[in-house]
Amino acid sequence: MAIKVRIPTPLQKFTNGKAEVECSAKNVTELVDVLEKDYPGMKERLSEGGKIRRFINIYVNDEDIRFVNKEETTLKDGDNISIVPAIAGGR
Amino acid sequence: MLTIRKDDLRTIVDHCNTGYPDEACGILAGQDGRVEKVYCMKNARPGPVSYEMDPEEQFTVMKDIRQAGRVMVGVFHSHPGGHAYPSGVDVEKAYWPGTQLPNYPEAVYVIVSLMDRANPVVKGYAIDAGAVQEVALSVV
Repeated sequence: MAIKVRIPTPLQKFTNGKAEVECSAKNVTELVDVLEKDYPGMKERLSEGGKIRRFINIYVNDEDIRFVNKEETTLKDGDNISIVPAIAGGR
Repeated sequence: MLTIRKDDLRTIVDHCNTGYPDEACGILAGQDGRVEKVYCMKNARPGPVSYEMDPEEQFTVMKDIRQAGRVMVGVFHSHPGGHAYPSGVDVEKAYWPGTQLPNYPEAVYVIVSLMDRANPVVKGYAIDAGAVQEVALSVV
């Protein structure tokens, strides 16, 4: 059983329109690298200097990785990953 | 066009008034350009010129919307002292960081101006491909 990653609409152009992809990775850093290998362009969109970009939130099952172990958050087969852009603004 | 019931519009404006003088925000769920449910959200970065939805609450609401078979048809926030038009920051944050790929291309950005609190102005916009276009709101 692999890890399922829910892809937000703006990144589906890198996954050939797929809203969900499967892969294997030990942690979030590795996940970003695996996604880049399978779908070039993803790494730059997701991270900057090895850190997940501000205004991008990543959830492992129902947990925000910022409250677990950030980029080092451990992943295992069967996990569901969600990549969710923040909703924000201001005058 | 985004269709919205009078009661739902009142819920939006009431939430914005409750948040005044800070910005308030929320999510509109529904189908086929019709609002069926209003989620009044917490502003995690409260201020008179800024808002950011609480990430946990946003995640929970988005899951609720999916499970109900709906989509996010809109996002709303207030401009307590500004016009009902997206600011530069509103437009910038509507896109994936560093790109012009809209984060939520299906969503209408609804802005509530409270410059005249007795007469709030509510307008909707599509923010896509670097352009801002007004979307008519049909109140039923």
